[in-house]
Amino acid sequence: MDPRLNRILPRVQKPARYTGGEYREIQKDKRQVDLRFALCFPDNYEIGMSNLGVRILYGVMNNMDGVWCERCFAPWPDMEAEMRQAGIPLYGLESGDPIGTFDFIGFSLGYEMAYTNVLNMLDLAGLPVRAAERGEDAPIVVAGGTCAYNGEPLADFVDIFSLGEGEDVTVEMLELYRKGRQLGWSKAEYLRHAAQIQGLYVPSLYDVTYHEDGTVSAIVPRDGAPEVITKRIVQELDDAYFPTDTIIPSTEIVHDRVMLELFRGCIRGCRFCQAGFCYRPVRPKSREVLVQQGIEACRSSGYQEMTLSSLSSSDYRQLEPLCDELLDYCGEKNINLNLPSLRADGFSMGIMEKLQRSRKSSITFAPEAGTQRLRDAINKNVTEDDLLQSCRTVFEGGCNAVKLYFMLGLPTETDEDVVGIAELANKVYLTWRQYAVSRARGIRITVSTSFFVPKPFTHFQWEAQISMEEYQRRVQLLRSSITNKSIIYNWHDPDTSFLEAVFARGDRRLGPVIEHAWRSGAKFDSWSEYFNLDRWMEAFGACGVDPLFYTARERPYEEVLPWSHISVGVRPAYFWRERNQAYQSVITPDCRVKCMGCGADRLLACGVCDAPLTRREREEAQANG
Amino acid sequence: MAKMHKHRLLFAKTGRACYISHLDLMRTFPRAFLRAGIDVKQTEGFNQHSFVSIALPLSLGYSSVCEILEFELVGDTPLCEVPARMNAVLPEGIRVLDCYEAQVPVKQIAALRWVCRAQFDGGVPAGAGEQFLALFDTDALVIQKPSKKAKKGFTELDLIPLIHSLSLEERGSALELTAVLAAQNPGLNPELLFSTARERCPLFRPDFVEFHREEVLNANFEVFR
Repeated sequence: MDPRLNRILPRVQKPARYTGGEYREIQKDKRQVDLRFALCFPDNYEIGMSNLGVRILYGVMNNMDGVWCERCFAPWPDMEAEMRQAGIPLYGLESGDPIGTFDFIGFSLGYEMAYTNVLNMLDLAGLPVRAAERGEDAPIVVAGGTCAYNGEPLADFVDIFSLGEGEDVTVEMLELYRKGRQLGWSKAEYLRHAAQIQGLYVPSLYDVTYHEDGTVSAIVPRDGAPEVITKRIVQELDDAYFPTDTIIPSTEIVHDRVMLELFRGCIRGCRFCQAGFCYRPVRPKSREVLVQQGIEACRSSGYQEMTLSSLSSSDYRQLEPLCDELLDYCGEKNINLNLPSLRADGFSMGIMEKLQRSRKSSITFAPEAGTQRLRDAINKNVTEDDLLQSCRTVFEGGCNAVKLYFMLGLPTETDEDVVGIAELANKVYLTWRQYAVSRARGIRITVSTSFFVPKPFTHFQWEAQISMEEYQRRVQLLRSSITNKSIIYNWHDPDTSFLEAVFARGDRRLGPVIEHAWRSGAKFDSWSEYFNLDRWMEAFGACGVDPLFYTARERPYEEVLPWSHISVGVRPAYFWRERNQAYQSVITPDCRVKCMGCGADRLLACGVCDAPLTRREREEAQANG
Repeated sequence: MAKMHKHRLLFAKTGRACYISHLDLMRTFPRAFLRAGIDVKQTEGFNQHSFVSIALPLSLGYSSVCEILEFELVGDTPLCEVPARMNAVLPEGIRVLDCYEAQVPVKQIAALRWVCRAQFDGGVPAGAGEQFLALFDTDALVIQKPSKKAKKGFTELDLIPLIHSLSLEERGSALELTAVLAAQNPGLNPELLFSTARERCPLFRPDFVEFHREEVLNANFEVFR
């Protein structure tokens, strides 16, 4: 650790964020290391350390001989000010060495509002933010995560986008770097070779041209780069690295518990959900592996809480036996087992009750829309009956607080749908009146609405976002429709959702806007205490970019979308077909009822997605005759 | 009266671990006991966890080689095995030095010996040490101590009865203060000596002070365990 930090750390908030030294941090002998990687998370320590992807990549890279992967998080502004004043560049937590001297700097991009932090961290590392201005000796800057699927707004700053799951491609990328170093490649030569690896997108090898109206006219690859870059997936999750022996932070983080990933992908096909499509195809882990990894992770961490994570845990085929087996261990060791992301149906409520070691006082449901028509349009296959039945179950169990999450501004939404939210909340109230074990303590129903952001690689990728004014009008309409004193209404501020909508479907012309906003002080934009919409509007003005071009415009099918050269495995034609179904409020059955031919199965070597048995389970069944 | 915990760990908190807060340490130890496979008496709430308590919480950023953690071993782990097993699973900078049965309650801790290193980047000014010692060589020195509880926002505190001994030694560009100070009811944080000196001694303006807790003492100034 830089000795100057000893004078700074006593003055900043939560200094344990900046020291490293946690249990199981990886230390390596620098003499045995030939490749150094700074795994950066463009938000604070508490959020970054809660990210399972970061922990997986940290383990994968450090398992490579000669590679030392260190962590780096965005310093909170109090620490940043101290570091800048003392002239301390951004450093890796493990070694304390400046990351500007490393071979790679990798960012995990989970949220558009973190883009300014990416620039700020590059700057704190002492590097030019623009890729073109970084020299031969500067680290290769790579970025992955959900936002990388349309990383175009960051194309000026990033050398390589890593698309999809990083377990395998990261290793290939580093091996190629070593090979290039042996052969004496220049950075440009390395990037040209990297572009040949499936899943690595080198934005500088693509020329983007625009029509006069501002839409993209063509995206043309150069130097042999592929026309379409397809994301990577892990073929067999059972065999993939899973961090059972991961770092245990010495300070409290957001998800301070064991996270056990049940499966990747989702069979549901909710039309607004980017994760639901970007993480296809569905690949479960076998129960046996999960039980073993879950127990091992608890034992080796000392955590007394475990969360089973996935996009829709009720869809894990063996959820009940899995929970039973984990409970056998957890019950004895006083470990709480959490199961979020459950569907509001009887089966899920049954499992949840079993996990509960005491009465649950509060439960959250996400019906997303207020009327059946709109829920059908977005393909959220939850009926009012499902929801009210589930509420009845929890009310009968003594629960007296329900949270309901909705979105406002979904395509085809009418005032009737908005008022429908209030009506649905009221029905939840009436269900409580009828079935509550005791009405003496009252009920608190919290309705929250967020502002819908159309995302790339969803059925709604061509849709306009409603204006902030229209969103506010709908908020007021809903507000005035809620008259029951037991129902509390919270709504999100539209400012960040508006910006998120700009960048989610943005193109390369947004690069200068991000840089301008950052230079005028934007950072930690996802934190309301630092976010300032005026600063962003000023940046749009200064760069001559109209944000409404990205948010308020419905795109025709023929338009070349800025992410047309990226494939998540799902065919654009499928997205468009489903979009039209939405306009007719026609639901699409989930993948298990009927395969709709989205195309994601082509990513699998075995060609079968969501196989009822994993390879391991098939082999075992065979062995047992 | 609360029943005394049966066992104690003597541990050091140095280096990067100085920045682990007391609350975070209270989360770290129960997890470490579980990782080490050492059975410890549990709390009896809904979220059961190891019942541990740390005597005299250390300020953030201070180092120490004499921290005492109270707990109760319930399994058959021999006491002598505990330090090595814990040290294998603790964060860098936290080292268990000893594990033993408690003899006397921690409320008998009367004093702490501190070593505080005041760094003067431009060299120690002549007379700074003398000025510092002279400040405390008096019958009473009442200061205003910030307090969240007090209506006025501060309480008045006479430092002198809480100071048992002070000695200064010049080491390079630093003055090293060894101080035996009251530990509790009330205790005296050595930082108060320096903030008071900063206000009242024109020559005593160190650029940085490091605080290190060196020993825990009883009312007879003997080592407390």
